[in-house]
Amino acid sequence: MGADLRIAGLHVGYGRIGVVTDVDLHVDPGEMVALIGSNGAGKSTLLKAVAGLLKPSAGTIALGERDITGMPPEKIVRQGLALVPEGRMLFGPLTVDENLAIGAHTRPARDEGVASDRARVQALFPVLAERHTQPAETLSGGEQQMLAVGRALMCRPQVLVLDEPSLGLAPRVIAAIFEVLDTLRAEGMSILLVEQDARLALKHADRGYVMRSGEIALEGPAHELANDEQVRHAYLGGRPETRE
Amino acid sequence: MSSVKRIRLFITPYLGLIAAALAVAAVPLVTPDRYVLKVLVYVGVNVIVIAGLALLFGHAGQISMGHAAFVGIGAYTSAYLVKTLDAPWLVGVLAATVLAAAGGLVLALPALRLRGHYLAMATLGFSEIMYVVFREARAITGGNDGLGGIPYPEVAGLKIDTPVGVYLLVWGVALLTLLLVLNILRSRPGRAMRALQATENGALACGIDTVGLKIRTFALSAALAGLAGALYAHGVGFISPSTFGLDQSVIYMAIVVVGGAGSLAGPTLAAVVLTLLPYADALVPGLSKDTIAVMQDWEADIYGLAMIAVVIFAPAGIGGLLKRIRLRGAGEVRS
Repeated sequence: MGADLRIAGLHVGYGRIGVVTDVDLHVDPGEMVALIGSNGAGKSTLLKAVAGLLKPSAGTIALGERDITGMPPEKIVRQGLALVPEGRMLFGPLTVDENLAIGAHTRPARDEGVASDRARVQALFPVLAERHTQPAETLSGGEQQMLAVGRALMCRPQVLVLDEPSLGLAPRVIAAIFEVLDTLRAEGMSILLVEQDARLALKHADRGYVMRSGEIALEGPAHELANDEQVRHAYLGGRPETRE
Repeated sequence: MSSVKRIRLFITPYLGLIAAALAVAAVPLVTPDRYVLKVLVYVGVNVIVIAGLALLFGHAGQISMGHAAFVGIGAYTSAYLVKTLDAPWLVGVLAATVLAAAGGLVLALPALRLRGHYLAMATLGFSEIMYVVFREARAITGGNDGLGGIPYPEVAGLKIDTPVGVYLLVWGVALLTLLLVLNILRSRPGRAMRALQATENGALACGIDTVGLKIRTFALSAALAGLAGALYAHGVGFISPSTFGLDQSVIYMAIVVVGGAGSLAGPTLAAVVLTLLPYADALVPGLSKDTIAVMQDWEADIYGLAMIAVVIFAPAGIGGLLKRIRLRGAGEVRS
């Protein structure tokens, strides 16, 4: 089940240059939270700090009861936070099945739940069962994104963090992936979603944060943000939001 | 891929290992020639070094320009302990292996915490430093004149002092080393190494301790080089610094590249063929002395040309060609 992720007073930077300044953000158990903002607003830097790829210069990150600030990435995965990285970062020459197996790397070799989790991932993304012996690099972009999400699920995360999952994909594939994210959230998983496509993100999320120049500029329930004059103008192309 | 085909692909490397063991056992029956066996001892030593380097470079993607130095550390450690200090042979070999591994750790700990080519640079420097140490620490190494009269291997009171005995000992260890590396490759650490080589960030995202994996792999491959060095010292009986220089480290890397990154059979075959090349007279009777002299003079150039040819015509090396043949045998060809 999902745990909560709490970020407080976080500062992250490269060398002396601060990229993320004084960010407070939280994801409650079973909640999907969208983090939106333009290119260079600091979204990816924030995620890197959450996943342990960058060390914050100040502030705290807590996962459930545990403080994970400054932990190395492999320990953070063990605490129950999985990242679907931007650009997917699949193991290209390895097969689909091997990619999923490596996703379960942090679990004991004889963990019998791994097989059932793989079956579960294959049920969510049937194409991963069809192509299970194919090298990951031979999959289409959409299939690769599905594999990246599936691989992250193999460590049984309590919090799933996705960096730009819709980037470069066809609308039909995006719909399929977000349908799975909705399912996971409905089952109680906590999800933090970073998206450039603000409209898409706010349509699926419960709450949202808008990041600008390394700071949180706005936050609130997703539907309120989607209708916010400022957000609409800056991130939704200025057109009035129509909700289906 | 059907499960039958997959099982075939799975057991093929073990069948190869068994075939290699049979070939190794057959050689002394075919030819008891001293010179041939001595050359083959040298080949076996290189197979051990290359097995470790194939793991490090071919699978974990880390470059070492200093493996000859680890071979040297192993050779001098065991030679000094056994010859000068009268230690039992097994103790000498064990100390050689441990000391080389420790040297590898000391080098890898700082270099591998940083990403990039720091390890290549560090090992390059290490190789040069150790070369100076081998030459100048005369009390232990005998300096440029070398260290001779190193005792034959002796296990549990049994002295292995015949050419056939030494040959079988070295190749026994070489086959066990190949088995060890093969098993590592087929288990979780091996899979993690392939993941690391494909994308380090992806490996991190899956919770793989990439720094720890690289450091452990480096230490293991340095240990195998040290073990090979000890076997070489006692098998040949004489060592000198020129055997453990930078050029030899480069040759080791060239063998792995020609053999093919990501393969074990390829680099092993390359180690056998390329080590034999300068000593072709041991295998091909009637080859003129001049031909051999030319081949030995041009050894480095032949390796260089082989490397260029591989990079241009078969980037996956001998291992890539073997895999294509195997997949074709299993009824599956991937372009």
